[in-house]
Amino acid sequence: MLSENNILSIFPISLIVFFSLLILILEVFQNQKRRNYSGYISLIALIITSIFTFFLWNKKFSYFDKSLILDNFALLFFFLFYISLALIILLSLKYIELQNMNYGEYFSLLLLSLAGMMIVVSSNDILVILLGLEVFSLANYVLAGLKLGDLMSSESAIKYFLLGALASAFLIYGIAFLYGVSDSTKIDKIVYSFSSNNNLLVLIGFGLFLIGMSFKIALVPFHVWTPDVYQGAPTPITALFSVAPKATGFAVLIRIFDDLWPGRISENVIFWSLWVIAVLTMIVGNLVALRQRNIKRILAYSSIAHAGYMLIALLVKDYKSLLFYLVIYLFMNIGAFAVVAGMSKRRGEYLDLEEYSGIGFKYPWLGATLSVFLISLAGFPPTAGFLAKFYIFSSAVRNNLIGLTIIGVLCSLISVFYYLRIIIYMYMKPEIPGVKVEVENPPLFLVLFICLLGVVQLGIFPGNVLYFINQAISSLNTF
Amino acid sequence: MNFPILSFIIFFPLVGAFFLLFINREKENLIKSVALFVTLIIFIASLFLYFNFNSNLTQPQFKEYSKWLGYGINYYVGIDGISLFLVLLTTLLMPVTILFSWGSIKEKIKEYMIFMLMLETGILGVFLALNLFLFYVFWEAMLIPMYFLIGIWGGKRRIYATIKFVIYTMLGSFLMLVAIFVLYSVYYRATGVFSFDIFDYYNLILNPKLQTWLFLAFSLSFAIKVPIFPFHTWLPDAHVEAPTAGSVILAGVLLKMGIYGFLRFAFPLFPDALFKFMPILVILSIIGIIYGGLMALIQKDIKSLVAYSSVSHLGLIMLAILALKTEAVEGGIYQMINHGLSTGALFLIVGFLYDRAHTRMISDFGGVSKKMPIFSAFFIIVILSSIGFPGLNGFIGEFLCLIGIFKANKLWAILGTTTVILSVAYLLWMFQRVMQGPIKNERILKFKDLNLREIIVFVPILFLIFWLGIAPGTLLRKMDKSVDYLLKKVKKTEELFSSHQFLKKGEDNAFRK
Repeated sequence: MLSENNILSIFPISLIVFFSLLILILEVFQNQKRRNYSGYISLIALIITSIFTFFLWNKKFSYFDKSLILDNFALLFFFLFYISLALIILLSLKYIELQNMNYGEYFSLLLLSLAGMMIVVSSNDILVILLGLEVFSLANYVLAGLKLGDLMSSESAIKYFLLGALASAFLIYGIAFLYGVSDSTKIDKIVYSFSSNNNLLVLIGFGLFLIGMSFKIALVPFHVWTPDVYQGAPTPITALFSVAPKATGFAVLIRIFDDLWPGRISENVIFWSLWVIAVLTMIVGNLVALRQRNIKRILAYSSIAHAGYMLIALLVKDYKSLLFYLVIYLFMNIGAFAVVAGMSKRRGEYLDLEEYSGIGFKYPWLGATLSVFLISLAGFPPTAGFLAKFYIFSSAVRNNLIGLTIIGVLCSLISVFYYLRIIIYMYMKPEIPGVKVEVENPPLFLVLFICLLGVVQLGIFPGNVLYFINQAISSLNTF
Repeated sequence: MNFPILSFIIFFPLVGAFFLLFINREKENLIKSVALFVTLIIFIASLFLYFNFNSNLTQPQFKEYSKWLGYGINYYVGIDGISLFLVLLTTLLMPVTILFSWGSIKEKIKEYMIFMLMLETGILGVFLALNLFLFYVFWEAMLIPMYFLIGIWGGKRRIYATIKFVIYTMLGSFLMLVAIFVLYSVYYRATGVFSFDIFDYYNLILNPKLQTWLFLAFSLSFAIKVPIFPFHTWLPDAHVEAPTAGSVILAGVLLKMGIYGFLRFAFPLFPDALFKFMPILVILSIIGIIYGGLMALIQKDIKSLVAYSSVSHLGLIMLAILALKTEAVEGGIYQMINHGLSTGALFLIVGFLYDRAHTRMISDFGGVSKKMPIFSAFFIIVILSSIGFPGLNGFIGEFLCLIGIFKANKLWAILGTTTVILSVAYLLWMFQRVMQGPIKNERILKFKDLNLREIIVFVPILFLIFWLGIAPGTLLRKMDKSVDYLLKKVKKTEELFSSHQFLKKGEDNAFRK
């Protein structure tokens, strides 16, 4: 099935890069007043590329000596990214205008970031993975600081950059070890050497690599950058940060872990260190979220906690649940951030919990949709968040990780508290005078509608998505 | 039967709620009428169930089955002699409470009615689901509307109360979820088939050690819901702060979900563990009976008095089903209906008083019966029903419970009887202080007696109070088969257990009978 060295396989990525550069060039000739058409161009770019990607489904291409593999697994992630990017672009249209940001580089960088992520998820070579990670990270550092004149935003960019660079250093160091031992940068070969000679060097290399990835996914104790960066970055970008890098990181981990531990879960060091990281991530993410007053920080810690749940799925090698969780997480988290982005005025945003008082009745659609997303994040049925957690925890129990599951459910109990607290402010407290939201924002409502549809429909009839996920996973093992 | 009547009953309120979303919030009367209409339709549909219910079948009836998500997650609903009456109780109380809220909820009517209808879907789903996944979905989903009902329309400390209610309930249900997963994987290992169907699990024989853990997880969830003694602290808060309709549904129906859970899941699935933990559960129930009664005696607020009386009454019901005798279990189910009616009615009464006086303190009232004679008559009938006055429904229920408990253990029965004595004390004393004596303050002089709508609210409950007191057989005969089946299930497994004990241990020895 695999058609090697097929130029088609780099076509989606090149297309995105092309459009990204196109926007930058057009930016020069643009009229200062009517510039948000760069947003529409990037939407068109996404649509064209996704139509093209759709025809690649179920075919398998590779390029650059199997460094770049376009299997269903990669394509599924492509679609995940397209959807989240499209939602974020729609979200940004009004936001940029209100916050007086620049259009051209914003959308251009978004597409570049997308190209980077696409490289990462379709790669089978850790050096190429590193390359992709750097591309999307660099775009992200700049995106975080794009709110000109806002100190928080600049702080966020600097923090993200410094810690991200540190993470990359770990990655490279790890890759050096792995290459030294296995004489190859291909994942399958590295993993083979890992299982054949279980020596300390491989372990160190792999551990350093994992630390680097943990930075990207924001797993405790490598999460410290998350809240500040999330808080300072422009809200639509925060929504992107909370979904896309995590998805990318997990894609890499899945590719590596798929070959690791053949058969039963073995009791090795990496398994147990990930076990500990999962527990820490869930506990710290949820507990610290309890004390936050800023809604973006609450969502930041909640996204850390969610990465912990996903790590459980990785531990039991239940990729189906993991991907399903990612898809649902995309809709509910971007949905929640969409409402936060919608809660903005000219040159400012409402981020403090107090300012959310009473908006449930003042702005019924914003309040109701945010409630649905929060309820889904908390994992109440019949929303999709429940089904996602259900699959993960049930396979954890099937694989005898009962202790981890109990910790997991107790952590989600804690999470119920802070998610519901936001709802308390929205519905059960009197409104604060002076909070006035710009509600004339049709793209925002489109985003809310799509996310709502995702959260409700996937919670009740997830059939199609599961079908695609199954196809994606079965493509993983057929080299 | 081709028409999916159970699905209709479960989901029609949700359809109604969805419909309400698109009605302009200014049209309050239309919103209320639609909600009332929907709940009445559901009530009529459930009456149809009642009259077509075949009392000779042990298995659930009107079954509907369809594939849903795969891996054992199916849409599977059915009704048997135990759930039939709880469904009827729910569908009756819903229109009653909506009619009550007609005048007493003044703001945000639209959201209120939407949440009430969503709540009805959740509750009915819990009673009708025969698939453990489906059950859990409804069990949890029901919390959300209740959370909003208490949190938005509740009293002063509503936020504290509603968060406490949700967190408490979820603590139990999350652990139950883990237990469900364990059950699921044990079943899969034993049979190679994925299943969440309750009746498949009935055929499992689990080793006692595993049963202990699973029973604890399930019981914690149900015990919080009932509530059994040390887990009851959320109840007075939630009841006192909830709007009247919320209290009625909470006391009338939601608490029964705990008992129902014990009967449907915890007892038949884990009989060995049941016998092991029986003494503890019995002691806790008896403590609940006495403690609830004593606490009710000293309450200053009428609503929290009624709330504590629920703790006491549910202790008796719990004790009855723990007796595992036919009379007692039937009495327990009967008493659940009675408690739903009488305590529901008591909360309505408190609601009527509160709407007039805007206070619930017993000391603020006195001599109300002079201004409100019709109300006073209703009040005393409800109280007599609640304390088990012969001729009314409460008598039948308590009598059956106590007979059954007596058969099982004389000491339990003696201690259980205190509920009757205590309830006479706190209810009649409360009645005396509120309704009789001289008129305490001027506001009472302005009280108007019940209007026609308020009387209509009461009539169906009063009718049932009398009817269930005079003709208990109509109900009891319908539940005979199901209760017998359940008890046989628990006891048979007990016999098997004694021989099974000698087999090798370890969770892999779970096997099909």
